[in-house]
Amino acid sequence: MSDNGTSGERSSTGVSRRRFVRAAGAAGVVSGLAGCADFVGGGDGGDGGGGGGDGGSTGDGSGGETTTVQFGFDPVAVQNNGDAIKQALHDNGLSDDIEIQFVPRDQDTGAARSNYNRLLSAGETNPDMFLMDNGWTNIFIQRGQLQNLSETLPEELLSDVSDNYFSAFTDTARNPGTGDLFGVPVFPDFPTMQYRKDLVEEAGYSPEENNWATEPMTWEEWSNIAADTYDNADVDFGFTTQWDIYEGTSCCTFNEVMSSWGGAYFGGRDNLFGPIGERPITVNNPEVINSLNMMRKFVHDEDFGGQFEGYGGGFTPTEILGWKEEDARAPFANGNAVFHRNWPYSLALTGRNPEETEDPALGENLGAMPIPYAVPESEAAQPGTGGTTAALGGWHMTVNPNSEQMDAVTQVIRAAMQPDFQLTLLSVQGWLPPRPELFNSSEAQNVPVVGRYMDTLQVAGNNTMPRPVTAVWSDQSSKIAQQANRAVGQEASSADAMATLEDSLEATEQT
Amino acid sequence: MSTETGRESRRSGALVGVMRWMENLSDTWYAYLLLIPVFVLLGIVALYPLLRTFELSLFALSADFSSTNFVGVGNYVGLFTGEKNRYLPGGTTFLPGGFSTGALLNSALVVTIIFAVVSVFFETLIGLGQALILDQDFYGRRWIRAAIIIPWAVPIVIQGMIFFLMFNSNVGFLTPPLADLGLLAPTNTLNDTASATFIVIVADIWKTSAFMALLILAGLQSIDRGLYDVAKVAGATKWQQFKLITFPLILPTIGIAVLFRSVQAMRVYGIIDTVSSCTVVPSLSCMVVATFTTREGTSAAIAFVTAAIIGIVVMGLIVWQGEDAI
Repeated sequence: MSDNGTSGERSSTGVSRRRFVRAAGAAGVVSGLAGCADFVGGGDGGDGGGGGGDGGSTGDGSGGETTTVQFGFDPVAVQNNGDAIKQALHDNGLSDDIEIQFVPRDQDTGAARSNYNRLLSAGETNPDMFLMDNGWTNIFIQRGQLQNLSETLPEELLSDVSDNYFSAFTDTARNPGTGDLFGVPVFPDFPTMQYRKDLVEEAGYSPEENNWATEPMTWEEWSNIAADTYDNADVDFGFTTQWDIYEGTSCCTFNEVMSSWGGAYFGGRDNLFGPIGERPITVNNPEVINSLNMMRKFVHDEDFGGQFEGYGGGFTPTEILGWKEEDARAPFANGNAVFHRNWPYSLALTGRNPEETEDPALGENLGAMPIPYAVPESEAAQPGTGGTTAALGGWHMTVNPNSEQMDAVTQVIRAAMQPDFQLTLLSVQGWLPPRPELFNSSEAQNVPVVGRYMDTLQVAGNNTMPRPVTAVWSDQSSKIAQQANRAVGQEASSADAMATLEDSLEATEQT
Repeated sequence: MSTETGRESRRSGALVGVMRWMENLSDTWYAYLLLIPVFVLLGIVALYPLLRTFELSLFALSADFSSTNFVGVGNYVGLFTGEKNRYLPGGTTFLPGGFSTGALLNSALVVTIIFAVVSVFFETLIGLGQALILDQDFYGRRWIRAAIIIPWAVPIVIQGMIFFLMFNSNVGFLTPPLADLGLLAPTNTLNDTASATFIVIVADIWKTSAFMALLILAGLQSIDRGLYDVAKVAGATKWQQFKLITFPLILPTIGIAVLFRSVQAMRVYGIIDTVSSCTVVPSLSCMVVATFTTREGTSAAIAFVTAAIIGIVVMGLIVWQGEDAI
């Protein structure tokens, strides 16, 4: 009644202050609760993927119950072959008490890295294991965010990795200072020079007789073949590759060309992983500048005072300056390019029988050879470079140091290291075995499509060059890609671009 | 009545006291009271993150990358002395390294300011033109209105793809004609800083002029039509009508629109990331994103400086507009 009286006195406002505050307060509380309920509901839904872990960890070691190991994994592989891969692990000795739960990561390697960085910085216990790009595993190692496997894995597994795995690839999973192992390689990625066999044969070359598949040729010889075939064929491009301003140029294509000329970012193989600030910066050297000039010859047919007179040129489009892997593969798979540089997945996809797939493919017309070279290893200016060079891609399995079930994790690693499991990955997923000996096995040679190129891939695998991953690599990578792109794009002379790069790399090397 | 009140006050004296106090407040203080929830919310979603960003910006990663140490304003000093440039993508610097075109376009600060000034200027001009047309009475006006708003409704990623594809080296059909005019680099267009900045600015103008047009149109429609009748009787030309009636009356609206757009333009990121890359067109927000996973302190310092610059620009605009603003 007193309310009524008040509102009567304040008839000018229509609603009393008291009633307004009450109504607004009630509405606020209701909508607040609704918001919270919604938030909680949403959170529940999002959490579904991680639910299994808790129940699992209690059963650790008690025999009767199952233990769940969460494994951060490649999303495409999980979608297509997740069950097959799990089954293969159990077939290779993983106890049935241990259940694998794949946690698909982001498809973008950079986003995956950020996510894992956040998880590990926050001290999360899940996932127990990660699949990590060899391009950034080292950064996690140097920050002390990963489990030291040299301390937890049994000796026989450690020596198996040391003795029987591709050593250059395994090095990217070791602490460069101590040599301790922090990741077990799952699959390496070695690029090859892929080509239209039918076109080069029409132009009068015989890849089979000259052993193109296993005997690397020089850039000079290769460029003449490419230019000649390009002139005689009805295709738009002689050579497609990736040269955009991104990681793929600095880690891989520029790194390959530079190394095949005997050049290196930091004075050769020994300094790849440090020590930061104490290693020489060798990008402003003649061998690196020559390698960029050669790319300019391929793209713009520049001669540089006769230095590249003997080379073929002008068969590579300026479009490579904006291309990544798939941009470069598309015209090649469509039959519109003679040569193409890419990873094994491209062999698996492009080498499919065109009648059996709706995607563009070349079938048996697809050939592969090791990446050409300019100077042999004996004449290389920087130690450990020269000769055919394949940039090193690939992924390792690493372990969360906060995981509460190390025994189960060890079992998973043991199963994943079985050669039979690695052959299964090769056949279902096209992932190369990390053991050189498996390349020779008849089973690997018999895998559909990729099996045909096994001998070429082995040559590539024996001549790899990792990217110089240190804690400052992500600062350096974009600077390298930008200057390599400017040089080949004729926005600066190769010497000027490399001088600029030298300065900025020096700044990044200061600690 | 009196007994009821007495019972109530015995039941919960404090509540009644608060109610009485509330009812006796002056109108101004009552308004502030009602604004408290808003201030609390703003404090949580705006002020706290800002202060937390500032706190983060006072720390830096140690030399062995294993811990973070308090460095005070070291990150800011490093930013302005150029010591932090090594953490920025590509050849980007924070402040310009010189006064050549190349050095200016490598500076995140300069690129952001160029982007903001040029895009907001043209958006205001084009938006004003569109608004004047939309203000006319003509057949099919509502369809034209819808058509003008469409770019504003396009998601930024789709907008980015549209412009990326128009200037892409494989299928881009606009590069050759514009390169012939000397506006763009003929090859490697989206990796050329000057060309890519130009394209990003055009993309932003295409999208956001509609936003300006809508705001200005609202101002135009609030003008009393009677004023134009008076002007006609007095023999004023169309130009005089615009100069003496339309423009002064929509100026406050334009001021608000410019204010909103400037704030948005100073933090441009999405369109750059989709059309080109942060290495090629370095904006301040780009630098925050690029350094966030590796150098949190530097990233926070850039973010805080960006916020400060936006604050200064907004204060400038508010002072310029005087009482009419906000």
